[in-house]
Amino acid sequence: MRFLLISLIFLLQTSCALQMTKDWVKSESTQKYIENSYFSELTTDYVYKAKIDVYGHKFGGILIIKKIGKEEHRVVFTTEFGNKLFDFLYQKDIFKKNFIVEDLDKKMIVNTLQKDFKLLISEKAKVEVQYDLDDELVFKTSDDKRSNFYFINKKTHTLDKIVNTSKSKQNVEVLYKEIIDGMANTIWINHHHINLQIELKKFAKK
Amino acid sequence: MRNYIFIIILLIGSMSVSAQETEMSLSEINSFRAQITEVSDNTKSITADFIQYKHLDFLTNDIETSGNMAFKAPNWVKWEYTEPYSYSVIFKEDQLLINDDGTKSNIKMGSSKLFKKLNELIINSVTGDMFDDETFDVSYSSTPDFNKVIFVSTDKKLAKMIAVFELHFNKNDGAVLEVKMIEPSQDYTRIVFSNRVVNSKISDAVFTN
Repeated sequence: MRFLLISLIFLLQTSCALQMTKDWVKSESTQKYIENSYFSELTTDYVYKAKIDVYGHKFGGILIIKKIGKEEHRVVFTTEFGNKLFDFLYQKDIFKKNFIVEDLDKKMIVNTLQKDFKLLISEKAKVEVQYDLDDELVFKTSDDKRSNFYFINKKTHTLDKIVNTSKSKQNVEVLYKEIIDGMANTIWINHHHINLQIELKKFAKK
Repeated sequence: MRNYIFIIILLIGSMSVSAQETEMSLSEINSFRAQITEVSDNTKSITADFIQYKHLDFLTNDIETSGNMAFKAPNWVKWEYTEPYSYSVIFKEDQLLINDDGTKSNIKMGSSKLFKKLNELIINSVTGDMFDDETFDVSYSSTPDFNKVIFVSTDKKLAKMIAVFELHFNKNDGAVLEVKMIEPSQDYTRIVFSNRVVNSKISDAVFTN
């Protein structure tokens, strides 16, 4: 009986462990902090065309991100016609909902959006563990009860991906693509547990 | 002394307003409304280019998008953005036909009253014929360059999104020159029309996705 219990616990533990890092090799730490500088310029208006697919419902809009203070960002989403759908303010660890249309003002939606954009704009986090993969260096940081893994491309030295995980599963993946002069021109946000994908394309300069 | 300063400031303030803008008298309002109704009744189609400016107080620059629109009486509208991305919406009967850079979708407006209202306003603002709408307090003024009508939303739900609509009309032909939608936060969307062509023949095929 005891054996059964032990093997059951063992089974549960192994199946609960995060699959992603299973074969990864920890390496010596080379840096204390990991930085994400894609939304860190105070003088830049970051404006993206967004395509959102939530459970097969597709809709578009404009995502506007602006750093407005040392640790302060505004994140606003509007329709193509300019009507605001939500307007969020991030100040250090404080989150404020300046505005959200009634149809979207549901706890689960707000929580998801809040966390997604927090992940996108967070500029600095303390590294807990470092991994050395074939093409990437990966830095693990802790985020409340979850973890974030930052993937730095060894060749280009750019941040290509952030994966947010619970203890056992991947939750969200942010992919930064077409990185030119420190600007991510395309960004994908993919959720693993809910059927939600967000694709962002930066407005082309005239 | 303080009173004098106050009066002077008030005078300067009211002078600068009156120099540019005067409230219409009742008879002016009546003739202006008659002009718009006549123009609207005689408009079978409109095509125009537009530039849209989204103003958010925290941004360095307004967000500029542009494209063209087509209107065919009684109420078909195609609104197409071409810069900096390709996106079009056709308002047709109870449906929205959307083409988001090749991704096509249809939305039935039946379920959402607010959505319906917003779309109706976009359609009506193209011809400018929104005066009989009961969801607004309307006020009229004129400047040397254009007539200006301000629609203040009295519907609570709508007012949360758009507090005020401001339309500018060409004094001569009654055409809508500009639409401004002002949010309660004072952020706004401003759409400026150009190259307006009235009553040219537009094929129904324009309004298919």
